[in-house]
Amino acid sequence: MKDSILEIESLESGYGDVQILWDVNLSAKKSRLTTVIGSNGSGKTTLMRAIVGVLPAWKGRIIFEGQDITKLPAYKRAELGLVMIPEGRLLFPEMTVYENLEMGAYTRRARGDIKKNMEYVFSLFPRLKERLDQKAGTMSGGEQQMVAIGRGLMASPKLLIFDEPSLGLAPKLVIEVFETIEKLKKQGVSMLLVEQNVHLSLAISDYAYVMAEGKMVMQGTGKELSEKDEVRKAYLGV
Amino acid sequence: MEAWIGAILSGILLGLVYGLAAMGLNLIWGVINVINLSHGAFIALGMFSAYFLFHFAGLNPFIAVALVLIIGLIIGMGAYFVALHRVLDAPELSTLLSTYSLSLIIIGLGTFIFTTNPRAIDIGLGSIGVAGIYIPISKILTGLFSVLFTVILYLFLYKTWTGKAIRAVSMNKSAAEFMGVNSIFILSLSFGIGIALAMIAGCLIAAIFPFTILSGSVYELKSFVICVLGGLGSPLGALIGGLILGLLENVFALKIPVGYIPFIEFMILVIILLVKPTGLITKR
Repeated sequence: MKDSILEIESLESGYGDVQILWDVNLSAKKSRLTTVIGSNGSGKTTLMRAIVGVLPAWKGRIIFEGQDITKLPAYKRAELGLVMIPEGRLLFPEMTVYENLEMGAYTRRARGDIKKNMEYVFSLFPRLKERLDQKAGTMSGGEQQMVAIGRGLMASPKLLIFDEPSLGLAPKLVIEVFETIEKLKKQGVSMLLVEQNVHLSLAISDYAYVMAEGKMVMQGTGKELSEKDEVRKAYLGV
Repeated sequence: MEAWIGAILSGILLGLVYGLAAMGLNLIWGVINVINLSHGAFIALGMFSAYFLFHFAGLNPFIAVALVLIIGLIIGMGAYFVALHRVLDAPELSTLLSTYSLSLIIIGLGTFIFTTNPRAIDIGLGSIGVAGIYIPISKILTGLFSVLFTVILYLFLYKTWTGKAIRAVSMNKSAAEFMGVNSIFILSLSFGIGIALAMIAGCLIAAIFPFTILSGSVYELKSFVICVLGGLGSPLGALIGGLILGLLENVFALKIPVGYIPFIEFMILVIILLVKPTGLITKR
């Protein structure tokens, strides 16, 4: 438990009267890449929304770095270092790339590190440095994903959550995104990844959960899961 | 010739303050997605604030405007939580009705307390005359102060963390929350700033024209025309829209009876809505 950064205990949540998450348990460790895989509609994104606090938990607890954050509003969770790179990127389209990155460092924790973090982002994505004055909304999908990841890194995250980062990207760009995640993993960034791209996700994960119909149905190391028959049949198509 | 130049100068100076009023409407629409039907009532409230600060505290409107800014911020942020916060996610009709009720309450109470007798503030600054063209100094100050507040608003929105958070919320509320922005505070602050801009405009207009508690509605309608002219969601557009409207009004007034001018303004509104519904000046 000591090296855990995020603990989810018996979490239940949903929209209106419709319950989506049923008794979900998950643990993410420091400096590790934890992945949640599952098909479309399995409740992955709902789980992420509950973790970052845009969706209230009905039952259960969310513990971040030993602190119970179940009742905290989303912006306070961000201040603690729980940073989400949302599905669909959700950039600020009328702001420049520079302003988008700067907004990533909005929290008091991150403001002091703007320069250092900005250099780090440029070392990962040199292309962004040439595009600082471009409006984010006018960039291509791949470039927007770079800005979104950069914006997340600007927050000096303690846990970086990727919600479907490969969604809507061309295959070549998907590989690029996964390479970036692998690079971050090697540098010791704690990450939680949610993906439909099971094959690539399992290949780089330290530990993974399989979600179906709002429940966790399997878990194990990336390697263990990718060798399981159920996973191979249901998600890998072999 | 003097008449023309005078009308143009007057149109520019008035246009600037119209633009300032419209910026408040524009900001509230852009950030909170609410059409503020209480805008005119708050403009009138700004006029009366100027009147009372002048008569009871001896402050002329160009000094009182700083106080009006603070009063507007506080009232606006309070009004957000009373009238808007709980209906924000409801269908649009709810926020329209809610701000309309706010307007009815202010105007109703105002009529009861202040009556609808016209009032005026005479600070006796006189006029400046060059080559036969006379412009009241209070009108010049109104124009200059409108520019000053526009610049302050621009610097606030583009150069401060809180201002950037306002723009971020206007573009994507969830994403802003993921960055650690307290969106409820930002929404209430934006309403506060919008109301403060309306009241500041009222305060400045009170220095040049007589007014009643009902006068705000005229400027509210002008603000709508300006927002359509300049395109919703840009402070610069509002300023340019204001200038166009101010110029049209004053130049037309030389040739046609003043009573026709509102008619012309709304013809412009309807024509723009028919031909280019996104506004004449768009962001891209």
